[in-house]
Amino acid sequence: MGGAREAVARIGEGPDVVTGEGAPAASAPAGRTSAGWKVLPIVEGLVLLIALVLPWVLQDYLTVFATRVVILALFALSFDLVWGYAGIMSFGQALFFGAAGYGVALMARDLNVTSILLILPAGTLIGLTAALLLGGFLLLGRYPSSVIFVSLGTLTGSYAADRLARGWYYLGGQNGIPSIPPLTLGSYEFEEGPVYYYMVLGILVVTYLLCRFLVRSQFGLALAGLRENEQRIAFFGYKAQHLKAIVFAIGGTIAGLAGSLYAFHEGFVWPNMLGVVFSTQVVLYVLFGGSGTLIGAVIGTVIIEGVSFWLSDNYRDVWPIILGVLLLLVIMFRPLGLISFVLGERERVGSFGKEPGKAPKKEAGNAAP
Amino acid sequence: MASTFAAVFEIVSFGAIIVLVVLGLGIIASMMGIFNFAQGEFVLLGAYVTYLAYAHGAPVWAGMVAAPVVVGAIGFVLEALIIRRFYAAPIVAMLGTYALGLIIRESVRGLIGGFYLTVPEPIGGSIDLGSVHISAWRFTIIVITLLVMGGCYLLLSRTSFGLRVRATLENPALARASGISTPLIYGATFAFGAALAGLAGALIVPVFSLFADLGIRFLIQGFVAVMVGGVGSFIGPVAGAGVIGTLSAALPWVMSPVVADVLVFVLAIAFIKFRPQGLISGKGV
Repeated sequence: MGGAREAVARIGEGPDVVTGEGAPAASAPAGRTSAGWKVLPIVEGLVLLIALVLPWVLQDYLTVFATRVVILALFALSFDLVWGYAGIMSFGQALFFGAAGYGVALMARDLNVTSILLILPAGTLIGLTAALLLGGFLLLGRYPSSVIFVSLGTLTGSYAADRLARGWYYLGGQNGIPSIPPLTLGSYEFEEGPVYYYMVLGILVVTYLLCRFLVRSQFGLALAGLRENEQRIAFFGYKAQHLKAIVFAIGGTIAGLAGSLYAFHEGFVWPNMLGVVFSTQVVLYVLFGGSGTLIGAVIGTVIIEGVSFWLSDNYRDVWPIILGVLLLLVIMFRPLGLISFVLGERERVGSFGKEPGKAPKKEAGNAAP
Repeated sequence: MASTFAAVFEIVSFGAIIVLVVLGLGIIASMMGIFNFAQGEFVLLGAYVTYLAYAHGAPVWAGMVAAPVVVGAIGFVLEALIIRRFYAAPIVAMLGTYALGLIIRESVRGLIGGFYLTVPEPIGGSIDLGSVHISAWRFTIIVITLLVMGGCYLLLSRTSFGLRVRATLENPALARASGISTPLIYGATFAFGAALAGLAGALIVPVFSLFADLGIRFLIQGFVAVMVGGVGSFIGPVAGAGVIGTLSAALPWVMSPVVADVLVFVLAIAFIKFRPQGLISGKGV
């Protein structure tokens, strides 16, 4: 088992990770991170800047495409939170995405509800409920569930939902639910284009900041510990299963939000949105960009969707093969994703809670006695 | 009476197909601890090899004989180049094999296009039992499944190769200390599992015809079957496959197929939740 060490490196970067800011820089940071200025805010700022000016540069049909990418990035964020930070392999993240999409599509079709003030909370709630139910079932219980069980359980859940949607006449069967009316706010209709783009971008930025706050809080510290060494975290007195279920529910909530935005942006929902296709797609985005960094999920989505869009005219047949090869190479040689080319190990793990020196370390809020 | 018999035959023959597909998956999962997401694509490759042989004028049965050999060889090479790196981390192994499966599937899709290609049954016609007609080829699949199952069992339980495989499974360090080349054993086991998938693909292609997504259909069912049966032994996944295959074929006779489809998965996941060790726990054969 010669290559085992490289494989392990993906799962755990050593026990020092859990100690947060006090950790010695075990691995040399890539480049300048120790010199006082950080790469991560620069990358984030650049991405935001590009995202802000994009609609001025792009033609209209490309803005529509960019909107789709931003929504998918929101979806990728939800998976990154669950896998990159809590180490839960949710191979069925599309279940929440698609369930919310179908839910709001039904609201629009059967109840004529298109107000953004009702649709987005409803979609979010659907995602949350679905994630609470599935996560509660898979993660909680007398015995801790194995990673394999959770990943296969989520995958199976998503696959089963896909089959159900395909066969259920009420949900439109194979064709899904077409021609969803546009989102409204009062008498204003959100059509595809710059306005929708900026609305979605705003939601992404807010969600991103919330997630960033979450993973850099004491709760995030406990999560990092969970990902690196679950047993040790359990010995510290944390209820590891509860932590996991909470993160899983948050991930489902974000996925639900993304799903409802996607449904109204595309104007239709179809069974693939629930199933294995989207579930694995989001895994690709995050692995490619770099799991365990929130911006990595966004960058991965943009790159994969962008290249896929660009190549789809001429190389439609070859692109999935190239994608597979690239993914395999990333998994084998760059387990931390593309972002690890510019982002050092120490900065990826980051520091938690208050700045050192300002306040003494407190017990984390979610710690069980 | 006749229709009951036809139904039972239908159920048994589908169960046999699932068992055949799961055999390789189960051996790799149990003996190596890897959930091979590319297994469905090995099935696809087996089907493709059979189709290639047929398309080039060779008899179908020759393609079916060649398929496990070719797919086994491919499996051996892939193990040495790629899979070997993933042993320590089961989740990474899942992702890596998924990427591998994606490459194989899309390559085959590129080669055959989006078509459904048919391959004739090498043994056509039907067997008449009084008023009941059953497909001769499906009957052959049941027989071959039984033979392969028995053969695998004997190989793992009675031969020195099987002993080495089990020793490597139970305690790799001690196996190495006893002079067993564990990398070679892992390679051989993976190749064997791949060959079984290739055989499964070759045998089922006349029934399902060849299309790029042939493997996916069986993959999730296969995983669920392995988990239900219990990872770690040879007999566990086979038992799980029998249960899942029978259920998925039998339930549509008593309820709407859509509900039955989903119900099988829900039941299976619930079962695994409350009995994580599966139907048959324990290691070994």
